[in-house]
Amino acid sequence: MDSTWWAVALSEEVTGDKPLSVDIGERPVVLWRDLQGQVRALEDRCPHRRAPLSLGCIRKEGWIQCGYHGWSYDGETGRVMEIPNLKNEHRFSSVYRVERFAVQEAAGFVRVALNVDAVPPAAAALEMPLSGTAHVALDHERYLTALFDDPGLLLTLFGVHFTPYLMSELHEQNGELVMERSCQWKLPHWPAAFSSDYPLNLISSTDPKSGETELVLNDRDFRELLSMRLAPVPAGRGVTAVRWRALQGAGLPRWVGRMLKWFDPIHVHTTVDAAALRKLKPTASVVFEELRRGLQPSLVQSVA
Amino acid sequence: MLDLAPAVRAEQPASPALMSPSPKISANSWTPHGIVMRDTWFPLAHADAVGERPVRRAVYSHPYYLWREKGAVIAAEFHPRERALRPASELTGGTGRYPVVERYGYVWGWFGNPGAADEIHLPNLPFLPPKGGLPGHMRGTVRFDCTAPLSLENLIDLTHADFLHANVVGDEKSESEEIKFFSDSETITMTRHCIGKSVAPVMRFFGGVKAKTQEVRQVIRIYVRSHAAIAYGRFRPGDDVPLFHPCVPETRDRTRLDFAMNTSRSHNLFRYVMPKFSYVVSRQDSSMTSPQSVRYARPEKRRDLHSRLDGPSVGYRMLLQELAARQAAGDYAYRPDGIVSRDCSEIIGMDPGMFSYPN
Repeated sequence: MDSTWWAVALSEEVTGDKPLSVDIGERPVVLWRDLQGQVRALEDRCPHRRAPLSLGCIRKEGWIQCGYHGWSYDGETGRVMEIPNLKNEHRFSSVYRVERFAVQEAAGFVRVALNVDAVPPAAAALEMPLSGTAHVALDHERYLTALFDDPGLLLTLFGVHFTPYLMSELHEQNGELVMERSCQWKLPHWPAAFSSDYPLNLISSTDPKSGETELVLNDRDFRELLSMRLAPVPAGRGVTAVRWRALQGAGLPRWVGRMLKWFDPIHVHTTVDAAALRKLKPTASVVFEELRRGLQPSLVQSVA
Repeated sequence: MLDLAPAVRAEQPASPALMSPSPKISANSWTPHGIVMRDTWFPLAHADAVGERPVRRAVYSHPYYLWREKGAVIAAEFHPRERALRPASELTGGTGRYPVVERYGYVWGWFGNPGAADEIHLPNLPFLPPKGGLPGHMRGTVRFDCTAPLSLENLIDLTHADFLHANVVGDEKSESEEIKFFSDSETITMTRHCIGKSVAPVMRFFGGVKAKTQEVRQVIRIYVRSHAAIAYGRFRPGDDVPLFHPCVPETRDRTRLDFAMNTSRSHNLFRYVMPKFSYVVSRQDSSMTSPQSVRYARPEKRRDLHSRLDGPSVGYRMLLQELAARQAAGDYAYRPDGIVSRDCSEIIGMDPGMFSYPN
């Protein structure tokens, strides 16, 4: 069973009012908050007649109820709690249950592991106020390799130009895949290929299993201008669902921070320029697969 | 003295290909991305690019931060403001500081066992002032999105210039052409001698050359460990064009070139214009070496074909691989024939007295 933790939702997307449908590969998952505000994750499939539970509702007890025949499930155990017309039954056989998944909520992300016994990752405490969700018609593997080779195809940081020049190729550091890319401000400047020094540096650190990536934009004096966490998750039909959160760094001049509030400083693209993608040379990503295999030989497997 | 071999292994996670066993030496099928040269000086920056504010450089993805303290250059693994998320490497003997030296207007950083750093291993560049000071208009920076050995192979194979750079250096037409090369354990030198060659357009327009043809003697000398080359062109009628062409492998697939072209003895307009053509020529080269580089990143069954004019580039491939094989076997020593700091004026065909600088 896959023990990878996937950031399938932002905290604010999961409520106690309405179930949320997400997927991990081809596996449908339903999320909601119970009475205690705990996020629950079950397979989005009623074992009665296979209807998506996400089409149902959340009951006052915090259970999720299928919208087809009204079967209700407890999120902690996945067990059937009530079947309409059989309300006198107090306990149903343990076969009457939905597959449940492990859940962790931390730093504004809801992460789910298909293996209910998976050990939760160390939670980052940093709160990141900027956030968003994007769905891209590009599979997870290709999304990551494009991110390594040209992040500009997948996201826009206001005023920042990602150059093709790397100061550090993709390599393993403390269990993460780390690289550094030189960047420039989108202002009139000497062409990137002829610049002696670049004013900005983007350090990315990627979890080799999930592809969840921390991006830190520093200026040349190592002042942190932006910190961002990008969480691509394989979804149905080869789509990648991307959740992200970001925080403008302390290194950003205050007037710039104020000005950026008028703009959308981060845009995670929902479409990819296919012509540019086709021409994109696999450079940084060339070692991705072997690094991933070297780090986690048993983890390179389909989540479907 | 540090134990070198373990030092390399300790650094290997940053360069995964190093973990592969040393590939077989081959002229037709090689994987230059897997080659890492150690115990050598790399010209990391023009000296005047380094001030009190740290500048960032890299060698094979290893960070080098350069700055000055009371005028002296520091080369460090960490930016002074950086949160240290990794320990200082063996490349700095655990001190965080690399051996560094200033010469010829460059800051040279040592990559390898710091205990083996010695100025005797600095390449000789007889046309550059040892204490620096070449005017800014004769220097510049260009970058290549390719592995450094391919950039050097491109340089030593001058037959490409007649096609890729015809608008700058002229076409392939000449009455006679002779290519020779020789090597020692650390360098390879190629000489191309053309008689009756079409005049380089840049010389016709900016160098005052009225003749239709020229005698051209071009020498490419590569200091293999440092990935640094001299390209010395002598054009008659015309000028000498001495170029220092270092290819610093900042990563295995990105190359930084802080060039210096000493045109101080050239005609007035030419001395200003010619160095600027490096920007044109480098983009022309990059248009080929960039897509080419990806195709050399992994071993491939299909072998490269060669013509009889490819001797120097094949020789370079072989020498680099031989040196890599020696290093893979733990031999980082310079051999007696490999004193790279020895004067090479005669080898590159520089007239005595053309550039004479006090040491």
